[in-house]
Amino acid sequence: MSLQKSMLVARADLKMAMKVNYVKYGLILIAAIGPVMLILTVLLIALTAPTAAAATLAMIDPLLSPMIGIVAIIPASLISANALVGEREQNTLEPLLCTPLTDRELLLGKLLSSFIPSIALLLGSILITEVCTIFILMYIGSEIVLIPGISSLFLLLTAGPTIILAMVSVMILISGKVKRVYEAYQTSGATVMIFILPMLLPMISMDAGGNVDMNLVWFSNFITLLISAILAIATWALAIGRFNRDKMVSM
Amino acid sequence: MDEVIISGLTKKFDDLTAVDHIELSVPEGSIYGLLGPNGAGKSTTIRLLCTLLRPNEGTAKVGGFDVIESPVQVREITGVLPEEGNHTLYQTMSAYENLEYFGKLYGIPINELHGRIEELLTFMDLWERKDDPAGELSTGNRQRLALCRALLHRPKVLLLDEPTSALDPVAAKRVRELILSLAEKYKQTFFINSHNLSEVQRMCDRIAIIDEGQILISGDTEELRSRLQASENFRIRVVEDQETALSIIKSMNFVTSVDREADSILATIDDPINNNTILLQALLSKGVRIIEFAEEEASLEDLYLDVIKGGVK
Repeated sequence: MSLQKSMLVARADLKMAMKVNYVKYGLILIAAIGPVMLILTVLLIALTAPTAAAATLAMIDPLLSPMIGIVAIIPASLISANALVGEREQNTLEPLLCTPLTDRELLLGKLLSSFIPSIALLLGSILITEVCTIFILMYIGSEIVLIPGISSLFLLLTAGPTIILAMVSVMILISGKVKRVYEAYQTSGATVMIFILPMLLPMISMDAGGNVDMNLVWFSNFITLLISAILAIATWALAIGRFNRDKMVSM
Repeated sequence: MDEVIISGLTKKFDDLTAVDHIELSVPEGSIYGLLGPNGAGKSTTIRLLCTLLRPNEGTAKVGGFDVIESPVQVREITGVLPEEGNHTLYQTMSAYENLEYFGKLYGIPINELHGRIEELLTFMDLWERKDDPAGELSTGNRQRLALCRALLHRPKVLLLDEPTSALDPVAAKRVRELILSLAEKYKQTFFINSHNLSEVQRMCDRIAIIDEGQILISGDTEELRSRLQASENFRIRVVEDQETALSIIKSMNFVTSVDREADSILATIDDPINNNTILLQALLSKGVRIIEFAEEEASLEDLYLDVIKGGVK
């Protein structure tokens, strides 16, 4: 298998997608929802309770920060929904399938074309949130805490990409089975709802009194990572196993 | 040596048998035409040969590689122009970018790729338009660009599905000339699907006629035409009094059909060796001045119609 050929497919897809402004800015806008919500929360806490801001933020971070990961799944689903069915609608699927690309090379290329921008948006969201939080806390003269904090960063940088990988794999599988792009988009909505569930797991770490047990946070983070990894491996294996040129062309 | 060998190839879509146990062999360096009406199984055959579809039964070898066992190798040595090829380009990519992308996918070394793209685009009179998005090119130019894409990696076998469909006559003629010159220049094997009989007659040295998924006849184009029965069709051109001539021809009981075509009358005559003299005498006795009384040469269209109706085996 040639990674170079997969990268060619990914680069071509990305280049074409980025030529369309409403796609480019639409994705940035969706991904911005997570950081904007977090930054507004930080700002609200900083303005209403400046002396307790750092402590409050540190406590609620494991509940708030996964929001960035949840939102980052949406652009991944939108880009990957278009992967194969988009080629079919543009009538470019047949020439692409006639090249010496193997099934794995083609699917990996399609996976990377959705995974790379989604990871870029995820990392960008984390960076912007961190910088804005530090700036706000410095501005009010508070102790500096990281938002996302260390445990959330672990979750976002490990389970985040893994769940995006799983999401993209399942959307590529769906994209190869449906006849029209809009069908893939409709399916992506329901799929996103399922795939965000593991990212909500850290919420179990808050007790009835509103306190967060950090041991439970780390435990739930590892469980989330485990579920994401199992999902990613299973969906990728399914996408490869169920890929059928014959059926795609016969549709 | 045969570049394409098809043996018992069958493709079914649910209850429909699109290709039904076909047998074909395409000699190296030839231009082979697969003729047939819409829905006959022509496109399915090309899709089977380029590994887009998997056969239900039978085998096919392209350049010595089996389409089921070695699909990647088959794709490496084939160039494909899909049906409605002009619609199969990336519309937002420029003509150059389209070729560059596919050139890299076919593994053409970067140091060779630019030269090949320039050579092909220049050959197809598209070099001046290389930076234009494919979607902004005319239908004819897009078709030529799609042909460039199929030729870029210098495949041994070219599989072209209706290469001139949707083109105006001038553009179609240009594409035909290109195929002929490419066949001569690069000595590649062409397998062309078409329902355009005159086009196939002009380009292909060998043909097969397919209908309802079955090959009805195949062989050398000229040899097949000669297998037709001696023609009973005659073209008669007269001066001025065409109406009189027409009524005389129609009145003869050995004339089985009469047709008017521009300044000529086309008549089918039973037992022409004996009856042509009778018809000529009748026309001359009524003062009809005859310019031409000639046997119509059997065309590929005659062959095609005879085969489809079951006349020639």
